[in-house]
Amino acid sequence: MSGTVGLWIVVLAVGGLNYLSRLSFIAVFARVDMPPLVSRALRFVPAAMLTAIVVPAVVFVAPGNVGLTPGNPKLIAALAATVVAWRTRSPTATMIAGMAALWLAQWMLRAARG
Amino acid sequence: MRRLFSRPDFVAGIRDMTPPLIGIFPFGLVCGVAAQAAGLSPFETVAMAAIVFSGAAQIVATQLIAAEAPVAVIVLTCFVVGLRFLMYSAAMAPHLKPLPARWRHVLAFVLTDQAFAAAIRRFRASDNPGVGASYFLGTGVLLWSAWLVSNLVGFLAGNVIPAAWSLDFIVPLCFLALLVPALEDGPARVAALAAGVAVVTLDALPMRLSLICGGLLGIVAGLLAESLRRRA
Repeated sequence: MSGTVGLWIVVLAVGGLNYLSRLSFIAVFARVDMPPLVSRALRFVPAAMLTAIVVPAVVFVAPGNVGLTPGNPKLIAALAATVVAWRTRSPTATMIAGMAALWLAQWMLRAARG
Repeated sequence: MRRLFSRPDFVAGIRDMTPPLIGIFPFGLVCGVAAQAAGLSPFETVAMAAIVFSGAAQIVATQLIAAEAPVAVIVLTCFVVGLRFLMYSAAMAPHLKPLPARWRHVLAFVLTDQAFAAAIRRFRASDNPGVGASYFLGTGVLLWSAWLVSNLVGFLAGNVIPAAWSLDFIVPLCFLALLVPALEDGPARVAALAAGVAVVTLDALPMRLSLICGGLLGIVAGLLAESLRRRA
């Protein structure tokens, strides 16, 4: 991407498309029934897209380097946050538990390495 | 407009959305920090927050801007990330149908993950569409204002927050909080598992195409799992 013009194109295009997605069934397709395949596919968008965002942020300890061991504090923190999210369904509790677990795991790792 | 607007419900929307701000504010902070790191100006940061008004899209966009991905790839990836709004829009549409077009156009703009979850309950609880609409407007106005402020504060604090705090980990945690309730049944879990494996496997693809490819593969896997289960 290059320069300020590119940035404004991104902001306006992403904002515009997001607004169209939000507006879609509320206004634009108000009288149209969603095709069954589309409505079935849309159901999986949160599970698939959110996982695609979350997993790389958790498992990569360095670019191109996957860390699926207890030595990766982000993995420990994500597991703790998942349990809390499952039990409480509270975004706030999930975030607090995840950050606390991350700091604790980072501190223990530093202590273990002496 | 005046006849539909119900002040008590508008205020109730603001009141009910205030405690969740504890979770939303750090997310906005991180978006502001990411925008600053990607080289945006304060004005561009606030404009992006105001116009895009989606943490997921903003984080993905700023990451791709920092990775110098082409405009088309950034826009396409953010569009797929935002497709979940289609689903919210479809679920919200029957409740908004009795409202005038002006109300629907405004309320569509403030449709977010958090406002959707709160407002849909209010709409279901009352037969008067003005009740849900005013409540929804209250949650939306509060979230949008808080979003702009938190993004700007994040931008300004970008250099001050110590890296050792790992504040950027708030981003996956925010999405995890939305993701876990979405894993409601087998096919949804298959979709998530496939997306997770694919996004890591395809990590070497340029321009972070792994994100959009992993997401789309996950959706296809979910559809296949659902078809298999129906046939079984």
